[in-house]
Amino acid sequence: MSETSADLRVDPPLHGDEASTLRSFLTFHRDTFRWKCSGLTADQLAQPLPPSDMTLGGMMKHLAVVESGWFEKTFAGGERMPPFDVVDWDADPDWEWHTAQDDTAEELRALFDEAVRRADAVVDDALTRGGLEQESVRRSRHEDSTFSLRWILVHMIEEYARHNGHADLIRESIDGQTGE
Amino acid sequence: MSATLVSVGGMTQSFDKAFDKDSRAEAPIRAEEVTALRGFLDYHRDTLRWKCSGLTQEQLAQVHEPSTMTLGGMMKHLALNEVGWFGQTLAGEPYPPPFDGIDWDADPDWEWRTARDDSPADQWALYDECVRRADAAIDQALARGGLDAESVQQSSSQGAFSLRWILLHMIEEYARHNGQADLIRESIDGATGE
Repeated sequence: MSETSADLRVDPPLHGDEASTLRSFLTFHRDTFRWKCSGLTADQLAQPLPPSDMTLGGMMKHLAVVESGWFEKTFAGGERMPPFDVVDWDADPDWEWHTAQDDTAEELRALFDEAVRRADAVVDDALTRGGLEQESVRRSRHEDSTFSLRWILVHMIEEYARHNGHADLIRESIDGQTGE
Repeated sequence: MSATLVSVGGMTQSFDKAFDKDSRAEAPIRAEEVTALRGFLDYHRDTLRWKCSGLTQEQLAQVHEPSTMTLGGMMKHLALNEVGWFGQTLAGEPYPPPFDGIDWDADPDWEWRTARDDSPADQWALYDECVRRADAAIDQALARGGLDAESVQQSSSQGAFSLRWILLHMIEEYARHNGQADLIRESIDGATGE
């Protein structure tokens, strides 16, 4: 994961079509997350802001599993990328959050970048075949329905933005850095 | 959103009735664009209501150091964002009270700073009123141009905003603040949850 600074981010276009607008907002929040995690050591990435036990390193690994889970598994019908494919999630549903402290900062950044690359490849491929109404291969566990690609993209934007809100406060507690 | 009186630790305190997490609006998982975007926006508005519900004026003014943000300030900030983006920028309407008479250049964080002086009932009423005005502005814009409808006020360098862009921006604005609210709320009373 590159050491993205705040002002290298690209603002979403003000009057794009639906697909380019959604993908631009998603990219903006991925880069915001990279910026919030940038320049930190493994120890700093493992530092929580009590009483919450979330860490930026855990969040990086969590967002990697979320990228792979929504795009590769749910939408495309494949499996999650390694190392997430062989985890016993029933036995350890928070595996990615608590194992991040054993990974180096470089490993976490590489894993995150790989998950984003694979997710983008799934979306690129889908958009060559159709639009945002395309339905996921796998169905919701909560209701008897597939997900539209549209829903998955907007959900990923709000998933990232919510975690970036967590990251704002955690980063400020680590070294005082703030900023939207 | 009516205020209630309850007994907390032997003292009677005024705060808003609890917002039930299970009553939140949800974005349908297969819907056309307008329904999907408005569904996600309503979900995050309700998530903010839930994160702020059942708290006293003192709790709404509590910070989670080293950040200086408060949940009350956040509610007033998002009320301002609702009438700012949907009312002023999209529809060209002036700010409603109390935001209309503020010297924003002199006091750019006015809404964050002054929230602690407002009762919870007043904070909730202002928030709900601003959401109501925003929804009316969205309805009007959709009628005139759908999600490609252009804002009456323009950005400083790139022309008008589409309604699509403003809706997505508000979803990410809310989600970001709700992430901050997650940690602030947990520090107040231990309450957590997505």
